[in-house]
Amino acid sequence: MLLKKKNKRRGIIRVIIRELGCFFKGVAKNLFTREFLTVLIPLLGLWELLPRLGIVNDRLVPPLSEVAATFWTMIAERGFVSDIGDSMGKFFLGLGLAIAAAIPVGLLMGWNISIRKRVLPLFQLLAPIPPPAWVPITVIIFGVGLPMQTFLIFLAAFYPILFNTYGAVKDTDPRYLASARIFGASELTLILRVYFYSSLGAIIMSVKTGVAMGLVMLTIAEMYGGRTGIGYVLNEAKDYFRISQMVVCMVTLGVIGWFLIEILKFVELKMNIWVNAK
Amino acid sequence: MIEARNVSKFFSIINEDRTADGITAVLSVSLTIGDGKIVSLLGPSGCGKSTFLEILGGLQAPTEGSVFIDGVQVLEPLPSTRKEMEAYRKKYSFLSPLANRMWKNQPKHDVAIIFQDYAIFPWMTVLQNVTFTLKLRGVPRRIREEKAVAYLKKVGLADSLRKYPSQLSGGMRQRLALARALSVEPKIILMDEPFAAVDALTRERLQDDLLRLWGQTGITVVIITHDTDEALYLSDEIVVFSPNPGQVRNRFEIDISRPRRRSDPELLALKARIMSLFKYDIDHESEYSI
Repeated sequence: MLLKKKNKRRGIIRVIIRELGCFFKGVAKNLFTREFLTVLIPLLGLWELLPRLGIVNDRLVPPLSEVAATFWTMIAERGFVSDIGDSMGKFFLGLGLAIAAAIPVGLLMGWNISIRKRVLPLFQLLAPIPPPAWVPITVIIFGVGLPMQTFLIFLAAFYPILFNTYGAVKDTDPRYLASARIFGASELTLILRVYFYSSLGAIIMSVKTGVAMGLVMLTIAEMYGGRTGIGYVLNEAKDYFRISQMVVCMVTLGVIGWFLIEILKFVELKMNIWVNAK
Repeated sequence: MIEARNVSKFFSIINEDRTADGITAVLSVSLTIGDGKIVSLLGPSGCGKSTFLEILGGLQAPTEGSVFIDGVQVLEPLPSTRKEMEAYRKKYSFLSPLANRMWKNQPKHDVAIIFQDYAIFPWMTVLQNVTFTLKLRGVPRRIREEKAVAYLKKVGLADSLRKYPSQLSGGMRQRLALARALSVEPKIILMDEPFAAVDALTRERLQDDLLRLWGQTGITVVIITHDTDEALYLSDEIVVFSPNPGQVRNRFEIDISRPRRRSDPELLALKARIMSLFKYDIDHESEYSI
């Protein structure tokens, strides 16, 4: 019995390792294609050469090697890794809350017309307020720090996930519902086993949008209120006119966003297996 | 026994020029379908037979009249007076009358339905599709899988238990839908143009499969079709619908023992009689054609 359990655990670990291998292989394959490298390498070369040859002002556009060196010193001396970790912690907290709140509300809104009629207009009124407009009032209410930043990220990611989930749930093929209903499915089962799965593709798509919006608000939130994080470092670099540090922050944010989207693509592939299993 | 008493269904639609219009999909259809029979509802497209089938299954409420399955009313008709309307609203303020119970799975009637486009769940494997419906009927977990596999074997899908519906051919999907419907051991199966989306050869095989499984179980089958040959080959009784509005035009009992030959002279004679009914329609109403 114990052995069986142990074997099972070992099996799970093996599956995880295999899936991770698949993921990184897929990512590398996407990025390092011959076609893309023929574009990327000359671009990096230009970035290095143009400032060095004095064609553009090297004080305004630092060459690649200088940016790389700055990145290294920032990690070694400034603890930039902990800044990245800090930002990611906030980001995932906010995004996780947004997912946890938006998907159930979206499901309920798509499922029942009387809930939809009561709740949807409220969200439709609140959603058009651009998330950055929330910054001043959140700073006053929550103060500067984690709650305020998390709330802003939550706000940015919440609406796209909510509206896409709701739309997809509402458009669930009535034939699926009819065939589940006639076999005796309760409304709860319908929500969990039919509505959710039939809109899963759209939900994952909307989480991608949520990631993009969340990163925007992460940067803004850290620039306006905080003592740590990538956005704070970026803002500080502006004050001291350290352009290469700014570039490091920008590139880091870009890489993080790209990597998260890659993860979501992988999740989509795994969860939507019935679409791809041809 | 299924008993439809004066069932009518009206729809209101809004035209492009913003005027309201009413459509009569089904007009006072009365029909009794005996236990263990195969009955075909035959008619051209748009004659309200699909609507009628959904009313039989409780997926739509009739505007007038009522349907009884073994003496139990399927769905109450929509209210017509203001007072009735208030009571109706109160009763169904949160869930629609078509909705099932909130928390617990429980079928209202022992009915299964098969649609033309199968309506099997693409996010479940073949096996999961069947075990899910068994779960809805409250079959205990231990015997669910066993039972599902048994029924999938009956329709010849035992080799593709772990496949997803998108990996199956049209005929296999329809057989899966059949296995799913049969697995819950219903008293009645409603089929909405079940074999319309597959090629002719597969269709004949599926028809034979259906007859074989029907012979083993003896359930009541109601088939909607616009294929006269199919209706003649399968059914004990053919109910011919006429469109605009959907009404029962004629009923034919077929007393020919199974297995039937598709080219049986008696069937062909009956086919000529049924076709002459449609021909009459074409001569007199130019709005549609079969």
